[in-house]
Amino acid sequence: MIDFLINWLTNVPVTAAPYALAALGLIISERSGVLNLTAEGLMLVGALSGVATCLTLGGHPLVALMVSMVAASTVSLLFAGLVVALRVNQVIAGLAIVFFCQGLTGLLGAVAHWQNRPIAGLAKVPIWPLSEIPVVGRILFDQDPVIYVAILIFLAASLTLRGSMVGLKLRAVGENPAAADAAGISVSKYRVGAIVAGSALVGLAGGYMSVVGVKLWVTGMVGGRGWIAVALVVFARWAPWPALAGALLFGCIEAVIPRIAAAGIRVPQYIVLMTPYLATIMVMVWVGARQLAASGEPGALGQPHVREERR
Amino acid sequence: MHDVRATALQDRSAVPPAPAGRRLGRLTLDIRQHLSPWKQAAFLAGSLAIGLAISVAILDVAGIAPGTLLGELETVFNADSLRAVLVRAAPLVLVGLGAGLAFRVGFWNLGLEGQMIFGGIAAAGVSIYGIGPESTRLVFMGMAAAVAGLLWVLLAAWLKMRFRVNEIIATLLLNYVAVYFLFHLLYGVWQDSKTAFPQSQQFRPFERLPELGLGVNSAVAIALAAVLLAGWVVHLSRAGFYMRFISANPGMAKVVGISTRAITIAVVAASGAVAGLAGFVNVSAQESRLTQSFFDGYLFSGVLIAFLSRNDPIVVAVVGFLIAVLFVTGQTLQVFYQIPFTMVQLIEAIIVIAVASSEFLIRHRIRWTR
Repeated sequence: MIDFLINWLTNVPVTAAPYALAALGLIISERSGVLNLTAEGLMLVGALSGVATCLTLGGHPLVALMVSMVAASTVSLLFAGLVVALRVNQVIAGLAIVFFCQGLTGLLGAVAHWQNRPIAGLAKVPIWPLSEIPVVGRILFDQDPVIYVAILIFLAASLTLRGSMVGLKLRAVGENPAAADAAGISVSKYRVGAIVAGSALVGLAGGYMSVVGVKLWVTGMVGGRGWIAVALVVFARWAPWPALAGALLFGCIEAVIPRIAAAGIRVPQYIVLMTPYLATIMVMVWVGARQLAASGEPGALGQPHVREERR
Repeated sequence: MHDVRATALQDRSAVPPAPAGRRLGRLTLDIRQHLSPWKQAAFLAGSLAIGLAISVAILDVAGIAPGTLLGELETVFNADSLRAVLVRAAPLVLVGLGAGLAFRVGFWNLGLEGQMIFGGIAAAGVSIYGIGPESTRLVFMGMAAAVAGLLWVLLAAWLKMRFRVNEIIATLLLNYVAVYFLFHLLYGVWQDSKTAFPQSQQFRPFERLPELGLGVNSAVAIALAAVLLAGWVVHLSRAGFYMRFISANPGMAKVVGISTRAITIAVVAASGAVAGLAGFVNVSAQESRLTQSFFDGYLFSGVLIAFLSRNDPIVVAVVGFLIAVLFVTGQTLQVFYQIPFTMVQLIEAIIVIAVASSEFLIRHRIRWTR
């Protein structure tokens, strides 16, 4: 039993990291008032470009993760152009980007023969001597470097959003763009910046899934995790640390699924695979039942800012 | 770039202030009060042309020369392929209607695939358990599919109304649940024992939608009937007027005594029922059995068709037909040139992006002011 628990919990950070990074990326861009549904697609872009880099260079997983971030940010410029410059409905634009990315990655992966080709991945780096602590050491301090970096990213993002001038202006743009505009803050610059910076993290989430997680590219491998990240943002009331907690919850659920069958427990496979999605809906119901749905939401979320249409 | 400044203006801090009169000026936006339909159509056609040109270029890179593409498109319009296009158009028009109806009352029904899946499962269930006499089996299958789609969307609607769960997230996640339930059946109790493939046993002849003659399948008739009914409801009936009222000003509609809740629920339910019917039409007329991917690509197609037709049921029929041409061409390219079917989704997304961008030019005028 204790072996099962340790084995399970050791794998939680690996399954939780994509949720956490994607949710944080979405939080950054949604705090600027842009409703961002693109995660599912940008994670695919990150996942494919990561594996493609590894296959082309023959290794270099860290370079691959950088490429994942750059690739997702580049595609997000298209989304930024649509919603910030052209004021396209943010739901339509987000969906269009997701399906654009699904189509593009499916096509590229097949045409360039990047499918189902395993790569080496990223080795675990124990933080000695912390990793020698019984039980806890293996779970917390014997992970791959991205896990440690992710914690630092959360710390940096949380501090930036809460305390820095950039963070304050970003939130002002998201709460009341007209007032921010009048105060001399460039609404479009902050929104484009937030989308691009946030999407880099979403791309990292996707790259992590393919390069570090499953270590190969399969068409559509993100499998709804981007949508779960969108739900996590609502659950976390647009705040970084609760998003990390939510990501760990979903990491626990996802990490236990393959271990149930391995432990010899007989349950219908496909019913078990529904659990992350059903759990997400349960979490959303919990949020709604506690009447939290509107609190913490950026005031101008989903509304384009048009100076000439100022009301 | 909410005020699309000229670069000259942004660089002002770097250079000494220019004397008045030498400033290059900046781009400003005006809201257009009116644009003639011809100009609107021109903007729309221009953006569509750009979108299609990008799609052709991508296909060219993927190994389909424009000439080959043209040849494949031509063959779509011979009698045999036209039959295939029409059969494919029926479910596409139905999901387009489903999306358009829900969007009209401000409900983002992105669970079209889930509703299709449950529609297909219900129809296949009626076939597998042999419910009802042979003569009315198809009617039973269709009704079961509509009810299944309706119940599946009402789950999301209930979550939204009771717990304020965002329907975008709820409907999308319920799609995955529906897919896994389908797999649970197809890899389990409903697996065809003859072929051992993950699909249900083939429907009997009286469980397949019959040809009506002239190469037109009854699936097309079902879709057209749904289009006409929805067109009547939306354009002519009192309910359609209320729907426009609700989407224009929900608060006012409530104050003057329209039961906004009842109408919204009814329209959302109809949206799910139509999507469920699309599932039935697809498994009965196209696949003639429940397969593990019969719903593939219908969610975004539905959204695209509703978006391009501006939720107008009559226009949905036309756009649905055009998307069916794209689907059939995509299948040809998949079979003969090994181009993955996701290519269709890519082109659809490019079209949506192009058309959505053109709306900016229709609604705004960009001017250069000094």
